[in-house]
Amino acid sequence: MATEPRLDLTAVAKTGSRGAANRAEARGWAREQRRALRWGLAPALSVLALVTLAPAVWLIVTSLTPLTPTEPGSFDFSEPWQNYQQAFTSPEFVRSVWVQIELSFVTIVLQLLLGLGIALLLDKPSKLLDTVRTGFLVPMVLPPIVVAIIWKVIYTPAISPLHRLAVFLGVPFHSLIGNADTAIWAIAAADTWEWFPFTMLMALAALQMVPKEPQEAARIDGAGPVQLFWHVRLPYIRGTLVVAALFRLIDSIKAFPLIYLLTDGGPGGATQVTNYYAFVQTFNFAYWGYGSAIAMLLVAGVFLFSLLISRAGGGMALDE
Amino acid sequence: MRRRPPALPRRALLAGVAATTGLLVLPGRAPAQGGNKKFDGVTLHVACFSHTYSEFLRSYLPEFEEATGAKIVYDTPAFPIYNQRMDIELSTKSAAHDVINVTFIYSGRWVGAGWTTPLDDFLNDPKKTLEDFDPGDFLPGTTAAFKDAKGGLHAIPWIADAQQAGATRYDLIEQAGFKQPDNFDQMPAMLKALKANGGPAPFVTDNHYGWTFPPYLLAFGGLIFRHAPDDLHPMLDTPEAIHAAEFFSDVLRNYGPDGVLSYSYDQVATALKDGTINYSTNNETFLVRMAEPDSKVAKTCALSMMPAGPAGRFPNVASHGWGIPVAARNKDASWAFITWAMSKDLLLRMFNEKGYSSVTRASMIAQPEFEKKLMINGFDGAKIYRDTLDLAGKGYTVYRTVAPYPPVDRELDNAIQTIVSQQMSAKEAMQRAQQNSLRALQRAGVKL
Repeated sequence: MATEPRLDLTAVAKTGSRGAANRAEARGWAREQRRALRWGLAPALSVLALVTLAPAVWLIVTSLTPLTPTEPGSFDFSEPWQNYQQAFTSPEFVRSVWVQIELSFVTIVLQLLLGLGIALLLDKPSKLLDTVRTGFLVPMVLPPIVVAIIWKVIYTPAISPLHRLAVFLGVPFHSLIGNADTAIWAIAAADTWEWFPFTMLMALAALQMVPKEPQEAARIDGAGPVQLFWHVRLPYIRGTLVVAALFRLIDSIKAFPLIYLLTDGGPGGATQVTNYYAFVQTFNFAYWGYGSAIAMLLVAGVFLFSLLISRAGGGMALDE
Repeated sequence: MRRRPPALPRRALLAGVAATTGLLVLPGRAPAQGGNKKFDGVTLHVACFSHTYSEFLRSYLPEFEEATGAKIVYDTPAFPIYNQRMDIELSTKSAAHDVINVTFIYSGRWVGAGWTTPLDDFLNDPKKTLEDFDPGDFLPGTTAAFKDAKGGLHAIPWIADAQQAGATRYDLIEQAGFKQPDNFDQMPAMLKALKANGGPAPFVTDNHYGWTFPPYLLAFGGLIFRHAPDDLHPMLDTPEAIHAAEFFSDVLRNYGPDGVLSYSYDQVATALKDGTINYSTNNETFLVRMAEPDSKVAKTCALSMMPAGPAGRFPNVASHGWGIPVAARNKDASWAFITWAMSKDLLLRMFNEKGYSSVTRASMIAQPEFEKKLMINGFDGAKIYRDTLDLAGKGYTVYRTVAPYPPVDRELDNAIQTIVSQQMSAKEAMQRAQQNSLRALQRAGVKL
């Protein structure tokens, strides 16, 4: 007669207690890991807090005061929102936001189109194209102030090779930076020249990562270059283009040297972006509190736009 | 076989030794014996904005270093950059500079806030200021902006930047049947004729309109503030101010070169020397350079007073001066530098050797050499300069030195640009400037 195996309660108890001990040990190990992580990160986080957060907190605090160095006692919190109220009721500030949106939109679109277009042309194995590619990078590595000086010469009719060429060809035109209708486009053209290599590099890197098989399959199915790009290559590089646009957006909001040297925000405020407006208020007139409030609004705007673009980028990634 | 040339010819060697010995025995050129110069080991950080004067002075700096043992670090950024940087440094009580230029437009703010050192203790100490420095020799109109509420002097003026009118091609003006215009009725008629006859662009002035436009505004009966320095209510939207803005903008738009709004002061100075523009209301410092030997228009240039309007003649005069930041570490050495830079001897040499004529010492202006050198193609530049300083002595330029003026200056810039580029009418642009100025002044804590 077969006897049923007896349940060895002692063994179970031992096993159970071993499991509990293992779990406790695992929990302890995890706790140790977390603690080590916390202590390991602490120095870096402290530096980050000191270098990044402290000035940001100071900016917020200053933005709540009418601080100006010439007025003793102006570090005063009695009307904490007055700078923000002044900004929203200032036509100059509101105009600077529209100029900023216009400049950012134009430069991002131009840089993406030009960068992508040239990347498509250069995406072929060739030593010559390798050299050309390097040449295209030159504007991006020049110091911004040098770029501004180059374009100052180009846009100054008395010494400009561009204006001389236009006269020679019989199509003279007036100063681009002295005209309110063209000044922002002139800045956008210079900015695009400087920064399209960045979008070109990003697009080129993404294009070279597109797998060959679907492209071959599409070609065999009779897809032309446009269809191949639109239906096969673009979906693969779309995410990269969104990231490139995000980088360019953030940089376009920081636009400064070109505007400073070419137009000084003029004519009549036509190229005064929000960043430049904050600069003038803070450094020309020493309205530190008001300038800080403008800077805070700028930071909030950048966060908002970045969120929107990254959401849009995330959506596209899911579509893929 | 070729003879090897000697490494150093004997004659050249002897000549070199003789020349070096000669240099060492020249008075004031011999190096210090045992490092016993007064400011040995001291490094003075000196800053001024880029200007004809600051560039002229640069070439004399080794003489000060040689005489005192101090080392000079000399910084001359562009005008707006200098002002921004110095405003921040002074407001934070930085000791980065030992000697600075106190800019006219910022004098009320920097002196008023106590960011610069009163110089009276130095001036009254015979050990620190030699008798021949003669502080009373500086024209009262040029020192007024640098005095604090108690009358203490905070800077020694190195320039009286006086606005005048100049023509590069006076021959073309005469051919058109005109003389240097004396008023704002004659001026557009002359410019119109010049334009019709071809040749260089008839008119230009630099794009710091907060400086170049007020003489027009005041001449047409307008005001910047209701009654500076006591009542700082801006007055930019009065009919007189709007009319002046319209007049000035029309002249710029109709008779200026292509891209006239982007002409900075250095571009204007170059254009005048090159003769690519004919007539300008501008600073004396730039206008007299038309007569320099390397100028293309030295034989055809002309000078005159700033034209008058219905309310009179109101050329701007701005003085900039050497001062000492309140936190400077080597104030004795700083003062030694200032007394050297502003000594009669050095200023006279700068005038004779470099042609620097925007001087602030009465004794220099009275010298026959001054008159002789500023007699340009029959135009008495010295008299124009003196008369301009006399006019400004009436005190109408005080609006520029009140502490909250800089934002108003910027509003004038914007208004003229807006009108010239036809974004707004003169009325709209000046009304906007008025509103923006009101907001800026309130932000600065001005009770209106």
